Amino acid sequence: MKSREEAFEALFKSEYARVAGIANRVLADPHEAEDVAQEVFINFHRLHSASAQFAPAWLHRAAAHTALNRLRGRRRREKREQAQAPEEASRTVDPQRMLEVNEDRRAVRAALARLAPKPASVLVLRASGLSYAEVAEALGVGTGQIGTLLRRAEAALRKEVTRGTSI
Amino acid sequence: MFDDPDALTSSDRRHYADCADCQARYAGMAEDARAVATLLATPDVKVDAASAFQRIQAAPAAKPRFGFTLPVLRPASRTMFAGLAAAALLVVLVATAFANVLPLFQPKTVEAVPIKVADLQALSALADYGTVTWTQQPQPQLVLSAADAKTVAGFNAPVAKYVPAGVSSTITYAAMPKAVAIFTFDSTKAAAAAAKTGKTLPGLPKGIEGAKLTVTAGPAIVEFYGNLHAGSNSSSQDINIPELVIAESSAPVVTSSQVTAKQLENYILSIPGISKELSAAIKAIGDPSTTLIIPIPIQYATSTSVTVQGVHGVAVGDNTGLGSGVIWIKGNLFVVAGPLKQSEVVKVADNLKA
Repeated sequence: MKSREEAFEALFKSEYARVAGIANRVLADPHEAEDVAQEVFINFHRLHSASAQFAPAWLHRAAAHTALNRLRGRRRREKREQAQAPEEASRTVDPQRMLEVNEDRRAVRAALARLAPKPASVLVLRASGLSYAEVAEALGVGTGQIGTLLRRAEAALRKEVTRGTSI
Repeated sequence: MFDDPDALTSSDRRHYADCADCQARYAGMAEDARAVATLLATPDVKVDAASAFQRIQAAPAAKPRFGFTLPVLRPASRTMFAGLAAAALLVVLVATAFANVLPLFQPKTVEAVPIKVADLQALSALADYGTVTWTQQPQPQLVLSAADAKTVAGFNAPVAKYVPAGVSSTITYAAMPKAVAIFTFDSTKAAAAAAKTGKTLPGLPKGIEGAKLTVTAGPAIVEFYGNLHAGSNSSSQDINIPELVIAESSAPVVTSSQVTAKQLENYILSIPGISKELSAAIKAIGDPSTTLIIPIPIQYATSTSVTVQGVHGVAVGDNTGLGSGVIWIKGNLFVVAGPLKQSEVVKVADNLKA
């Protein structure tokens, strides 16, 4: 039988890439995504046993929620910084294409941050490669609901992106 | 349909081929799905799990918060579980704090006492008076059957001969072997804690320094009625909340070294902030060494005395009337609770076969 630490190490190594992937899907920033992944694993280890049945589902949900919370915090910070230094922001020296990509990414993340937690999580978890059953387990809903939730969330995100870019 | 076209039945396919509305809706959904896939596309994050593991191993925060771990339940069960866990912790805390412990506390019956938020705050100061070590950590686990639960707990899982109409017949079993914790009084720690908060805590009476309280809880079996493991056909989040909970546990046992029952009772009742009502209720209990005290948070719940299986029990209801529970001791400690009327819960309890 595995010790508590061995079980945690095995869980960490099997789920770390996926947890970081979910966070990266939200944040589009690999360094911050790894920060989130480590925070999620530390919180898990402080409370739960790695051999618990729903451990992966807990991690997936926590990764989505923690990253979405950071995204919302980041949005607030960016808005504040832009309000304080609009001229500085316009002097960005990135190449044009890079600027466009970054701008698109920023617009999508801003739209994601405006969605309610559940539709935002469904989108992120599914886009990170989780099956319908895994998304359902992470969010505590029936697998049969995932298709409908996903379609509604996709329509809502597109609407938010359009709204954001037309402002 | 977009993610799994093969899931369509042949009659759905025939309908789709002739229905312009469905074709238009599908085209819209497919476009949304493709657009979102593009919007959320990010370069893969390259991770080195081994070195990431080294980093978090070095973080001091990566240690169990309570010295033991909590089970992970499906997300929809968490709110209710948090409530149940808080109630259970309260019972253990107060049983430990108020049990008349020397030479042995082994409750044979239960009694309700009113408790206020201020009492809880005062009691929480007790944790600063010493150290808790687990010689056998609580290891609750979900098991597959009543037989497995018996293997873990060492006694038969209780069988409900009556279950209210509408309660699912699906049962999830959880079992826990015996858990043992030792609380050691430590005046240095108490003084340090007092200095930190700026509060004056009552000094430890002579003889209590270094005294050990050994608390034994369990083994226990808990049965959750309801479809806890929501399957693919589930259509509502509610099914993850138990419709009925039945628990049986060996009654908690507390033994102590050095400290006398009277010393401990006087000492605990001298902690600043303990209400007169609670103090009076504790003192009014006839034989504290054989009575398990059930704390009733009076702002949120009500309690009544009931007879269950021929013995005295305490029925607890929340003030909203949404849920109720009953607790009694007949050899072992039993709890029946659920989002049901009190009369139904008592009927389940009366028809329980241990």
